[in-house]
Order: sequence, then C-alpha cells, then structure tokens
Amino acid sequence: MDKPNQNEFKPKIVGFLCNWCTYAAADLAGSSKMEIDSALTVIRVMCSSRVDPNLILTIYFNGADGILIAGCHPGDCHYGKGNYFTRRRYAQMKQVFETLNLDPGRLQLSWISAAEGNRYAEVVNAFTEKITALGPNPINQSSLF
Amino acid sequence: MKKKVGIYICQCGPNIADNVDIDKIIESVSAFNDADDLEIVAKPYGLLCSGEGKDYLKQEIEENGLTHLVIGACSPRDHNNTFIGVCKETSLNPYLYKLINIREHCAWIIHDKDKATEKAIQYIRGGLRRVLYQSELFENKLDTNPDVLVIGGGIAGIEAALSLADADRQVFLIEKTDRLGGKAATFKTVLPKQQDAVEAIQLKIQTVQDHPHIQVMLNTRLDRIIGFLGNFEAEVRSIDDAEKMTELKIGAMVVASGFSLYDASTHPDFIFSGDDEVYTALQIEQMIAEKNQVTTRSGKAPKSVAMIHCVGREEVGYCSQICCNAMIKLAARFKTQSPDTTVKVFFRDLCLPHQDDQAFYNEIKAQGVEFVRVNRIATEGSQIKFTTMDENEGSELFDMVVLAPAMIPADGTPDLATKLGISLHETGFFQEAHQAINPVATATDGIFIVGTAHGPRGIQATLLQAQAAASKIRVQLIPGEQIVPEVRVSETLEAFCMGCKTCLEVCHYGAIVFDEDKGISVVKEAVCRGCGNCVGSCPSGAIQLKHFTNPQLYQEMIEAVQ
Repeated sequence: MDKPNQNEFKPKIVGFLCNWCTYAAADLAGSSKMEIDSALTVIRVMCSSRVDPNLILTIYFNGADGILIAGCHPGDCHYGKGNYFTRRRYAQMKQVFETLNLDPGRLQLSWISAAEGNRYAEVVNAFTEKITALGPNPINQSSLF
Repeated sequence: MKKKVGIYICQCGPNIADNVDIDKIIESVSAFNDADDLEIVAKPYGLLCSGEGKDYLKQEIEENGLTHLVIGACSPRDHNNTFIGVCKETSLNPYLYKLINIREHCAWIIHDKDKATEKAIQYIRGGLRRVLYQSELFENKLDTNPDVLVIGGGIAGIEAALSLADADRQVFLIEKTDRLGGKAATFKTVLPKQQDAVEAIQLKIQTVQDHPHIQVMLNTRLDRIIGFLGNFEAEVRSIDDAEKMTELKIGAMVVASGFSLYDASTHPDFIFSGDDEVYTALQIEQMIAEKNQVTTRSGKAPKSVAMIHCVGREEVGYCSQICCNAMIKLAARFKTQSPDTTVKVFFRDLCLPHQDDQAFYNEIKAQGVEFVRVNRIATEGSQIKFTTMDENEGSELFDMVVLAPAMIPADGTPDLATKLGISLHETGFFQEAHQAINPVATATDGIFIVGTAHGPRGIQATLLQAQAAASKIRVQLIPGEQIVPEVRVSETLEAFCMGCKTCLEVCHYGAIVFDEDKGISVVKEAVCRGCGNCVGSCPSGAIQLKHFTNPQLYQEMIEAVQ
C-alpha cells in the first residue's frame, strides 16, 4: 500500500489537560520515564470544563492536526461536576465539527486519573497514531482555500 | 516600555541536563531579542528550587530589572508555588512569571535527545509568548472571623464544638430538639467492647453546657446564611417562637445534623402496628438505658426474640454499616438478661468491619445465639416467615421482634442543603468535597460535614470526623490572621454579558450572582475557585478566568502548531 508522505508527516497535537487528574497522570508518566510521542503539546488548564469551544475551533483553524481534552473520570472532578459539563460540550463540538464538514475524529475526550500514568501514555500514543494515519489537517493544505 | 524577560533553564541535576540540550534552548530563545521592544536574558542553572537557586533567581530578577520571568524546569505541581514565593520576595509580580515543564513533558518522556530538545524549545517559546500576555494580579487579604457555628447537638456536633472551644474558638451550637446528645445519648453501652456509654456522653454534654466558649441554643434551626470562608453571617431562629431570630457572625460551619431511620412499617413485608411486639433496635437501646431491662408491652421479659437485619436495605440501596454490630450487641444483652432466652438472628449478609467485631460475633454465637441466613423474610406482628438461602421455608412465632432499619438522611436534610448551598449525594446524605481526598469538607469552603449527616457510620468514625473538621477549621482560620483568597478567579466583562444566567447554573460554588439592576452576572471573587467552567459555558465570551484567559492560552497553543 502506498501512503505518500506518511513517514514525513509529523502531526501537531494540542492537549488540554486538567490540573488535578490528567496533568498529574502526565507527571506520573514522566517520572516513570514512559516513552511518549513528542507530537502532543500540553496546555494545562485547571479543569477540563475551562476548554471553551472557541479554543478548540481557534486551534483547529490554526492547523492543529488533533485536539485532545482530558480530565478526571466522571464523578471524580476536583470541582464537583466540571467534567460532566466538558462531556456535554464535547458532544456538541463533535456535532459542530460535522456541521462544518470538519473531521470529528481529530477531536478526542479522555478520562485519565492522576494514578493512570500508563493510561496517559497509551492514550497519547494511540491518539498520535490515529492522527498520523488521518494525515494533515486539511486546513493546512492551501489548495482548499 | 521595553520588556525584559528572564528565561532560566533548570538542569534539575542530571534530570533535565542529560536529556535535553540546554545550550540549544538558550541559543534559540535568545534569538527573540529585539532591540526595540524585547530583551531576553537566558541562562542555565543547576537546581533552581534549592536555597541557592532561589537566592540566585531573586538576585537575577532585581539586578536585571526583569519585567517577566519564564522558568524551564519541572511540573508546576512540584514547584510553581516555590517560584511564586520567590517572586513575592522581589519587585516582580508573581503572575508575570510562568513555569514551563520541560522535565515531565520533554526530558523524561521523549527518549531521543534531539527531539526532546526541539520539543523543549517549542514549550519555552510558548511560555515566552504567554508570559508577555499575562497580567499582574494582586492578592487581596481579608480579615476573618474564627468563630464557628455547629449545626446539630448530637455526639458529632458535641465533639466538634469541644475540639474547637478547647482551642479558644467561640462556638455556637444549635440543636433543633430540647436536649443535647442526639441518639447516642440514649445508648446504655457502646461498641466495640460494650463500654458503659451513659456516663461518658453525659460528661461531654455537661462539659459543653459549662464551656465558656460554647453557646448552646436548643430548639433552634438555621434560617439562612450568606458569605464565604472566614466571613459568614447566619440567621438562626427559635422553633418555638418564630419571632426570636439571632444573627451570628462566624467564619466556618460544621454540619452535624445526624440521621433518621427507615420506617419499616412502610415496607410491604413487615406488617405490624404499635400494639405488636415489634421494636426497632433503637427503641430497645432506649428501653435498656431507661430501665436497664427489656420487657414486652405487658411488662414480661421475652422468652424468645427474633432479630431481623437489613430492613429497607434494598429499598435505600446501601448497607448502613453499623446495624449488624448493634444487633449482635443487643442479642448479647438478651442473653445476659436471661441466658435461656431463645435469640435468633435473621440476616442476609453480615457486615463486621471493626477489628474487634469478628471475635465479638464468635463469642455471641458460642453463647447460643442462633444465626439464620435468609433469602427472604416477612413478619405479621411477631409471626415470622422466612426462606433460608437453601430455599427451606420456616414460620415461627416470637415473644418479641427487633428490627434493624436502614439509616437514612435526617428529616429536613434537603432543606438544610438548600440553605447552605451544598450538594447531596444520590442517597440523600450530604456530599463531601471529594470522597477519597477531602472527605469532611464540602464544595463550599468553610462548610464541613461530620457524622451520620454524611452517611451511615458508628460513633468512633463520627468522632474522628468531628475532630478532623475541627482541626481543618483551626488550620484555615487562625485568630488575628488574614486569609488570601485565590486570585486566579473568573470575572465578567460587563459590556459583553447578555444576562442569560448560564454561568449561574453551571457554577458549583454559587460564586456567581446576578445584578438585577445592570442585568449582568457578577463573580463573587472570594467564593470563586477558579475552575473556569463558567468561561466554557458563556455563549457571549463575557467571562474570563484570570491567568487562564483565551489570549494567554492562545499564545501557548499557537506555538504548538508553528
């Protein structure tokens, strides 16, 4: 199978991690020296519910190939119920992506607790693989505009 | 004004230095030097979090006249507060500093040094861009009131009140009934070893009543509260005389409103009236405490007793934790009263959590108390019908039946929760801030829940919670000391707010109020915790979270896609 440029394509992924669970999981993955793909850039937010739709669309239209939002498991939110709001907004964003004919597969929400350093590494590496397979964000291919 | 940004890269011993090329980072960020607007001071250092490192930073900030500071080092979960502390000892506002985590996000997880260096450069550049968009924030110190309101005069409330009053805190203890001590004061003995409880509890009650720092208010309920940690105002009202209202100024509250019992008479399988020889375990406890013996309504000692566990457990959906032991204690009591009493315990599952429980159970069993494991059980008066686990059916008549109904939230719990602005668990008990890591606090700073108001538990666990809450209050509110509320909080931008009140709905802390005159939402900064959920919810972009604004996050993000 021919996949032109597949080897050269290095995705740019933005990850919004909540301070209390997933950011702590990233710290744990770090101190456990797990190998994680360098495609992801971490943006620390206090709660995943801080990630408003503007940020997602802004970074998508600026060329992010993938966007990850990750926070505490349902019921575990440091701020009570923030992650339930995140989940609802995420479901809406998926629909917004479809409406705008963008690929909703480039957007992912994951629950990763502070104890799940392993899972953090797995989620990031798997998401990076998925985005690599999808190829570059079409926004970056100037022919579209 | 020309900006001068200091960028200091910590070697973190070998942790960062071995895995990223710090010189390359320095070289790369130095390229941002711009003669007109921006001067970069970029340097490596061995260990910035060390005493020498902190002194070095202070010196660098002052000597170079830095306007902004970026530190490339470890996780902000490790040392953000360390470096905020450093800034506070200099002329640099600590919110014009940013810690970039190149250890956990680069050095330790990207195993190729070149790639790790490239990533670290990208992160540091993002930090540089972000810090230039950050604003000074100023901490606002508030005077606090160290006095405490305790709601509920049972053993939980009594213990909390004593723990606080003994540390010279003024305590207001309100109780809705006409006496202190709650349900536990009606027990003759307490587990695990059946120590005599009456005297001990009466002594505590007496101490509370005589305590110079405790004001007891009986027949009193909470009417309303406003405020936040350190500065609450509560109105309490006499239940007998609705005109009699007292206003209290306090800094914190302990909710110790206790529990009620599941009403077994509402259960279709338990048919009995007030004339039948059917009692709850609590009624038996009270009988023992009052007259030191258990008798039937006709005044005779029962010759046969059936004890039925878990009444209503399936209906409420949880185990009440303490009933098995309480029932075993009462079974022992029947045997002590008259060793030839037939005592049969009908149970489905036994819950024996304390380390003394198993031995106690074995001992009681050896005394001839019969334990019958049943699948189903029903009563009609004191006639018991049951099906055992191996599907044998039985029917027996007893002189007395003792039920262990499930513990349920106290009457009035939802109303109290509304007044306090705190949440309830799905079982109807008060909800803690975090089950695992913050179990006596609530989502509202300064309001604590202790004892059975929080869920079923025994006396020991109740006292532990009361002492824990008292300690938390003693640490959070120190007489004469001010508190510094979080400054990284939300604010509404008046011109953009449409007054839709969406943010009021999503805020978990009730930190947003509506200004009816202006028709806009307003954030109560002292109550806001800075999660940013309101920002995510606002349809008109009228709320921003200080230090996590969209322009600041944009600067970080945009570097990721360059």
